[in-house]
Amino acid sequence: MTPAAAPTWDDFVVAWELFRDPILCAFAAGAVLGMLSVYVVLRRMVFVSAAVTQSAALGVAAAFYAEIHLGLAFDPVFGAAAAALGATLLLLFDPKKLGVSRESVLGWVFAATGAATVVLGSRITQEAHDIESILFGTAVLVRPLDLTLVLAVGAAVLLLQLALHRGLVFASFDPVAARVQRLPVTALQSAVLLAIGIMVGVSARALGALPVFAFSTMPALTALLLGAGVRAAFVVAAVIGALSGVLGYLCAFFWDLPVGGAQAGLACGFALAALVARSLYRLASWAARERRREAAPGGDARA
Amino acid sequence: MSAAAATSAKAGAAPSGELLLRCRGLVVGYGGEGLLPPLDLELRRGTLVGVLGRNGSGKSTWFKTLLGLLRPVAGRVERSAPGLRMAYVPQSAGLDAILPLSARDVVAQGRLTGTSFLRPWASAEDRRVVAGALEAVGVAGLARRRFRDLSKGQQQRVLFARMLATRADLALLDEPTAAMDVEGEHEAVAELARLAHGEGMAVVLVTHALELAERNCDELIVFDRPARRVVHGPSAEVAGGEVYRRLRGELA
Repeated sequence: MTPAAAPTWDDFVVAWELFRDPILCAFAAGAVLGMLSVYVVLRRMVFVSAAVTQSAALGVAAAFYAEIHLGLAFDPVFGAAAAALGATLLLLFDPKKLGVSRESVLGWVFAATGAATVVLGSRITQEAHDIESILFGTAVLVRPLDLTLVLAVGAAVLLLQLALHRGLVFASFDPVAARVQRLPVTALQSAVLLAIGIMVGVSARALGALPVFAFSTMPALTALLLGAGVRAAFVVAAVIGALSGVLGYLCAFFWDLPVGGAQAGLACGFALAALVARSLYRLASWAARERRREAAPGGDARA
Repeated sequence: MSAAAATSAKAGAAPSGELLLRCRGLVVGYGGEGLLPPLDLELRRGTLVGVLGRNGSGKSTWFKTLLGLLRPVAGRVERSAPGLRMAYVPQSAGLDAILPLSARDVVAQGRLTGTSFLRPWASAEDRRVVAGALEAVGVAGLARRRFRDLSKGQQQRVLFARMLATRADLALLDEPTAAMDVEGEHEAVAELARLAHGEGMAVVLVTHALELAERNCDELIVFDRPARRVVHGPSAEVAGGEVYRRLRGELA
């Protein structure tokens, strides 16, 4: 038996109609989640993103379970969005009044939604492939409803970011001074959390939880490792997110990889490449400084 | 000098600047419980006021109440005008250093009030004010540098520039010199005195540097929580009193 020939660009072009929607969806979700990742990373909310993504996966599992066992038919994308939004609203609550940290609430949300997803998944074996798609992003195709929602929510989040980013950066850097200058700090912080929640929710159904988590964390890490300032970080992170989504899909096509794994892996690869580039730049800068010091009159003559 | 006597001491100093803010029978605290006795005092334009006291004496609580972040337990804070502009300067060490902001970005925050951040870009006027503020405190050359890469003294100067950029009538600074060496501390307090007198602001400064405050501030407020007393008046007068001398002994 001869192995199947590897796909070529011609195969891709021929099947473009089939791939157009998932690539557009990955581009939009990657760009918007990448931009939001700057807030996730700079405000130390990486675990928030993990918990909300996990909740979205539970929402999808719950939608399948409700349809199969309870006869309640509603689209899994709405289950994902509702669960992600519910988790976000829970995380808006300040648990300090109960004497516990936000991290402990995040841990509870992550563990509880993860456990519930696994338990529900075991009861809907006929949809097991869909659950796997949601968790790891193995879905090759994207439904028109999912694409429409990702584009619509993505555009709304983009506009919100343009309108709020100056206030959000100030409120993150120095919330007391921002309050003194009468900025609506709590409303701003809630708005960004809700934006992350709803975008993660609609994207998780379309792309899967794993790439969505990667898009909402890794692009900012890459941008910051490259030394971007705050404004540039939003742009660089959006580009990295979009590239991870699109190139990940292409990698999956050409090398027969799971789509979600390829997209998440590429996002992590960009961050690793940025780390290597930064280390090399620092090394080169140090070497140049040393050379200048030694060349200067009266410089170190150890050599 | 008792809290009740504080008002008369202040009146004796006959401050000439425009009245900006007045505390009337103000009791500060948490959960309806006052930390200190009722306080009556006025803050006037063009004065540098030093706020002194041990840790936990109620300085920060009083500050938060003046800033409108805490409700008074009793009494009230009267602003001379509803549009009174206030600025707050924290310790630079307390700010989130992970944010890759330039010094200019930080100063530009001073131009944001209410919902003005909804305009995505700074106006030409804002850019002019920010450049002027950086120039005024001698950090124009650092405008493009990352705030987190600056020394503590430089960071504090950038925060002073942000305070200037707010065009505030009243600025409250919470231990701005805490992380500085002695030389930096001297320069910073002298800079604040210059800003208060030159720019016509009322500058209220919480500090543990008693001698610096005594030398540079026009007025001092000393919080003595164990004795439930607040002493307020011209620096020379307060510095000659028993409460100040005891505090100096405790902090020595």
